[in-house]
Amino acid sequence: MNDTSTVRRLATRAAEATPPPVVARVGGLGDRAIAWLFIAPTIVLLLAINIFPLIWTIYLSFTNFRANRPNAAVEWLGTRWYTSILTDPDIWAAMQVTARFVVATIVIQTVLGFLLAVLIDKKFRGHGFWTTLILLPMMLSPAVVGNFWTFLFQPQIGLFNYAVSFVTGLPPSSFQMLGDVSLAPWAIAIVDTWMWTPYVMLICLAGLRSIPDYIYEAAEVDRASKWRQFWSITLPMALPFIMLAVLFRGIENFKMFDMVNLLTGGGPGSTTEVASISLKREAFEKWRTGYSSAFAIILFVTVFGLANIYVKALNRVKQR
Amino acid sequence: MADVSIRNVTKRFGDTTAVSDLSIDIADGEFIVLLGPTGAGKTTTLRLIAGLEAPDAGRLSIAGRDVTKAPPAARDVAFVFQQYSLYPHLSVYDNLAFPLRSPIRPMAKAAIDAKVRTIAAMLKIEDKLANKATKLSGGQMQRVAIGRALVRDPAIYLMDEPLSSLDAKLRADLRLELKRIQAELGATILYVTHDQTEAMTMASRIGVIDRGRLVQIGTPREIYENPFNAYVAQRLGQPAINLVDAGLFPDLAIPQRTATLGLRTEHVAIARVGGAARGEGRGLVRRVEHLGDQNHIHVELDGTPLVLLADADSDIGAGDRVDVRPERPLFFDREGARL
Repeated sequence: MNDTSTVRRLATRAAEATPPPVVARVGGLGDRAIAWLFIAPTIVLLLAINIFPLIWTIYLSFTNFRANRPNAAVEWLGTRWYTSILTDPDIWAAMQVTARFVVATIVIQTVLGFLLAVLIDKKFRGHGFWTTLILLPMMLSPAVVGNFWTFLFQPQIGLFNYAVSFVTGLPPSSFQMLGDVSLAPWAIAIVDTWMWTPYVMLICLAGLRSIPDYIYEAAEVDRASKWRQFWSITLPMALPFIMLAVLFRGIENFKMFDMVNLLTGGGPGSTTEVASISLKREAFEKWRTGYSSAFAIILFVTVFGLANIYVKALNRVKQR
Repeated sequence: MADVSIRNVTKRFGDTTAVSDLSIDIADGEFIVLLGPTGAGKTTTLRLIAGLEAPDAGRLSIAGRDVTKAPPAARDVAFVFQQYSLYPHLSVYDNLAFPLRSPIRPMAKAAIDAKVRTIAAMLKIEDKLANKATKLSGGQMQRVAIGRALVRDPAIYLMDEPLSSLDAKLRADLRLELKRIQAELGATILYVTHDQTEAMTMASRIGVIDRGRLVQIGTPREIYENPFNAYVAQRLGQPAINLVDAGLFPDLAIPQRTATLGLRTEHVAIARVGGAARGEGRGLVRRVEHLGDQNHIHVELDGTPLVLLADADSDIGAGDRVDVRPERPLFFDREGARL
C-alpha cells in the first residue's frame, strides 16, 4: 500500500514537472490537426496542378471537346478515341519512331556516360576541370542547344558538316543532317547524346565512387586482374546506378519534345515525328482536345507501366 | 609457404612516419604476432608486405625473391582485412571461391567446390554459403574474410585483427582453431593485434611495435619475462604490470640508475597484517575484484595505487591493512630501458 502511494506521488510529481505539449498552447489544436495544417498547402497545390488536370484529361478523353471551341456542346463518346488511336497506323509509326529514338539514345549515352565516368574516376591531374567541362552541355537551356545545333548542322556554314568533311573527305554541303530522311533521326540523337551523356556520367560516377577502395585492395591481393576487377566488381556494383540513369533517360526521352521541335519539328516528312510531336499537332494545331487527351493518357499509361516494371527489376538488382 | 624477410623498411605518410626502419625475418611455418596499440604501424606493415603500400626505403623479399616493387598479385600473399572487405554483391560461396578463380592459376570447378566447402565447414559457415555476403552478422562476415584467405595456399597469410569484431566465446574458439589450422597447414602467418591474449596464445614469436619501430621480438615467454623496456612490459600481462617509483620499497636492493620498478601482479606477495591488528601494515586495500578463479586486489601504498593478484580463496577485503613485498621486480632506468 505504501508502495502504490509512492508510485502515485512520483507520477503526480512527474506530471507536474512535464511542460504541457506545444499544441495545447496553440488554441486547442491536436497534433494531427497541426500536421494537416502544415501539409495542406502542398496538398492543395498538388491537387490543383497535378491531380485535377489528370482527372480532367481523363474526362476529356471520352468526349469530343475542342479547346478552340469552348462553347460548343460536349458530347460523350465513350472509348471511341482510344479505339481509333490504337488502330491508327500513323500513331504506331510515331510510337516506333519514339521507341527507336529512346533505345538508340539510351544505349549510346549509357555506354559513353559509363566509360567517361570510368575515365574521370581515375584521379588524374585536373580531373575536376575536365568534369566541369564535360558537365557544361547539361547545364545549358535546351532552347539554346537546339538553336546552335541547328546552326552547326547547316550544310553550307555549319561546323559539324565541316568537321565531318574534314574527317571523311566528303564535301560539307553534300549532306543535310536535318533535311535528310536517313540522317535527321541521327542528328537528334547526336544532339541529345551531346547534351545528356554528362548526366549519365554523373550518376555512373556516383556509383563508381560508392565502391570502397578496400574492395579493390582485396581483389588485388586475390590476384584479380584489372580486367576481372572491372567485370566482377566495378560493373556489378555500379549496375544499380547505371540502371537508374537508364530509367531517368528513358522517361525523359520517351516524352522528348523540345529538341525535336527545335531541330526538325518532326520532319523531314514524319521521320522524326515522335509521339510528343504528334500529340502537340493534334492538341494545338488541329485542336482535337478530346482525341489528344486520350493519346496523352495512353502515353502516360505506357511510360508509367514500363517504368514500374523497370523499377521492380532495378530493386531486384539492388537486393542481389 | 616460404620465408619472408623485411629489411629496414620505412614508410611515411606526409609528415608522419608510420613504419620506421623495420626489420623482421619470418621463417617458414612461423606464426608471428605484431602487438601494439592503435596507430603503432602494425597495419601499415601488413600492407607493405602485401604490396598495397610501397615502402619509402628498405627491401622486402618473399621466398628469397625481391618483391619490393612487385604488385600484390605477384607476391602470393593472402590478406584478412580488419573491415572484412567482402565483395558485397557476391554470395558467401562466391566470396570464398573468388581467389581460387584467378586466371593466373586455373583450378578445376570441382576442386574449387571441395576447397570452399572444407574451409566453410572449418569456420562453421557452411549453412551460409548461399547467403549474400552483406546479409551476415559481423562475426560471420569476419569468418568469411578469414575463409577467403584460408582457401588459398599463399607464401604468407597476413591477418589484420581478424578476430576483433567477434564475441568473446567465438574469439576464443577461433583463436584455437586458427592455431590448429596453422599447425596443420604449416602456414606462415603474420598476425596483427592489440589483444595480448591473442598474442600470447597463438604466436610462435611476438613482435612488440611502438610508433613504427619494432621494440622487441621473441617468444611470448621471453617477451613476458624479459621485456626489453617498460613499454614492452606494459603490453603484456592482465592486469597490466605495476610501474612504481624506485624508492617505494626502501628495503629492496636495487641496481644503480633504477628509476622505476616493474611489479607484475603475480610477483608481489601480499599478506594481511597479523589477525586482528588491522591498522598496522603499509598498504590499504581499496577494492577487490572477484573474477572467480582469481582476485584482483587494488592496494594503495603510501599514495601509490597497485594492482595485485590473490588466490580465489583469499579473504582479503576492502579496508584491510596489508603488507606488500616485491618478489621478482624488473628494474628500469629513467628512459624506461631495462637494467
